[in-house]
Amino acid sequence: MIHFLAFAIKRAIQGFWRNGVMSLAATITMVLMLMLLAGLLIVSSSLQVGLDTIESKVEVLAFINEGVSEERVEGLRADVEALPEVASVTFTTKEQALEEFRATQAAAGNEDLTRITGTNPIPAKLNIKLKDPRVFGQVRETLLGPPGVVQEVIDTQETIDELLGVTGVLRTAGLVILAVVGLTVLLIVVNTIRMAVMSRRDEIEIMRLVGASDGFVRWPFIFEGVLVGLLGAFVTLGLLALASQPIGQLARVLAAHLPPGFQQNLTQQVIGVVLGAGFLLGGLGASISVRTYLRREPGTG
Amino acid sequence: MPHDRLVAMTGVRGVLRSLAGRRDAAVLERPTQAARREPLALPGRASERRAWADAASGARRPSVALHGVSKTYGNGKRALVDVDLLVPEGDFVFLVGPSGAGKSTLIKLLVRDELPTSGSVFIAGQDLARLKRRHVPRLRRQIGIVFQDFKLLPARTVRENVAFALEVTGTPGRQIRPRVDRLLALVGLSDQASQRPAQLSGGEQQRTAIARAMVHDPRVVIADEPTGNLDPLISWEIIQLLLRINEMGTTVLMATHNAEVVTALRKRVIALEEGRIVRDEVGGYHRDY
Ligand SMILES: Nc1ncnc2c1ncn2[C@@H]1O[C@H](COP(=O)(O)OP(=O)(O)OP(=O)(O)O)[C@@H](O)[C@H]1O
Ligand SMILES: [Mg+2]
Repeated sequence: MIHFLAFAIKRAIQGFWRNGVMSLAATITMVLMLMLLAGLLIVSSSLQVGLDTIESKVEVLAFINEGVSEERVEGLRADVEALPEVASVTFTTKEQALEEFRATQAAAGNEDLTRITGTNPIPAKLNIKLKDPRVFGQVRETLLGPPGVVQEVIDTQETIDELLGVTGVLRTAGLVILAVVGLTVLLIVVNTIRMAVMSRRDEIEIMRLVGASDGFVRWPFIFEGVLVGLLGAFVTLGLLALASQPIGQLARVLAAHLPPGFQQNLTQQVIGVVLGAGFLLGGLGASISVRTYLRREPGTG
Repeated sequence: MPHDRLVAMTGVRGVLRSLAGRRDAAVLERPTQAARREPLALPGRASERRAWADAASGARRPSVALHGVSKTYGNGKRALVDVDLLVPEGDFVFLVGPSGAGKSTLIKLLVRDELPTSGSVFIAGQDLARLKRRHVPRLRRQIGIVFQDFKLLPARTVRENVAFALEVTGTPGRQIRPRVDRLLALVGLSDQASQRPAQLSGGEQQRTAIARAMVHDPRVVIADEPTGNLDPLISWEIIQLLLRINEMGTTVLMATHNAEVVTALRKRVIALEEGRIVRDEVGGYHRDY
């Protein structure tokens, strides 16, 4: 086993060098593809985190009509609170709402126009927090149930849906591009190993002649493919490490507040995915090549 | 079953079997299966009957046995037609015949480079039709194979070429060096060990190939026109080497066009013509009419 591994690895490295230009081309395309993969991973996890923060802030607002009695509002509040998808409901009176409005206006540096009117134009409201920000269930219907109580319901369902749509499209497009590039890389690896097999025709013939088992004939080529994949992965990780500063900023742009440990988690994920993808693509491409171009000559059974 | 029908079915094989007192019912009832199980029963030509008698008496086991072997290539070419052949262990046999007679085809069947269209081939005690694909490498290690074109790796030295056969069959590194040295001494190439094939004469290249064929101490050496590319003097050198290998107990089967050598050596000669064995006797390249 040790001899076998030593032999196969030695031959794989020899083959990689002998096949220099093709090996280099395969490694470079492998790097490009892995970069794309890593980029997609970073962008989509950051977007996911951003989406999560937005979702955590999701609430449904119900503005109450002028002059509705407190009992009716309390009744509505109780009904809504009883819904299974609702986490909590808080009531904000007209006065509290006005205070809130003034505070936000002041914070934004705007002039307070409400002082001029003399009356309070800001309606009272119910703030409903959902258990799952994506499940609105019967909330809207319940709020609008009793006639004349609620003036308007504002929920972020549409916004969330739109955002989900955008990230979905982004992810799909990314995956499609990734698949195309991945396929290209696979074909290049297949071709590289095919060239390696061709350049060793004579050796392979002699190996079979003297009774080398299939493993000795095949595995060096598969190792050669894996070598291309892993080398590509290490180069990619090296480049990513050099670019870690701007990548961190990009992640922060996509997700305003990164949760603690996010960067470390993402780093581990990227390392795992890049190494795994390089290994698998290299190995797979080489196996396909070996299967296709190392078939025994016809008639040998 | 009437006796004469049995004879017709089992042919000469059956007759031979009865001669040897090996006439059991199972053999007669299922001739094909029995033939597979029993590589010794073969039709009679003078020298073959002798070989067979040797084998049956337990003196020498057969090294190579072919039963009713035919080979038709994909293009319809019938390269071998109903060939029966028995070579006892330790023999030295020439395989002769005009170009296209089927010598190389026979050799390809023996090393399981091709499978017979019908009939069975036994070598080193193995039925090649039953040999699983993954066991072919093991078979090849029991056979030393030598070709006209040497099949050496040009970028490797003599020593490396021989060592290669050991490396690729998983021989521990420590054992390789001494074994290669011993083989190079056997073929008389110790001094040329670190030269590349291009720096060697044809004879030296062929001796390198023979050293490589011997790395696993094969029971049989099979050579397809090993002297085909060599001048007469060098050819003799190669033949001498093969004779020496034979004297050490290895069976040697050699296809050749070299009439001079065949005539001079008085060894068993099997002559093929258009895929059939037309002669099988000691000595003589040409057919006697
Ligand atoms: N792979 C093949 N496919 C089709 N026909 C073949 C194949 N190999 C050999 N033949 C044919 O089978 C016949 C026997 O060929 P073979 O090579 O066995 O002859 P040979 O006795 O070795 O001849 P030579 O002395 O020229 O080497 C020839 O007619 C040849 O053309
Ligand atoms: Mg031939």
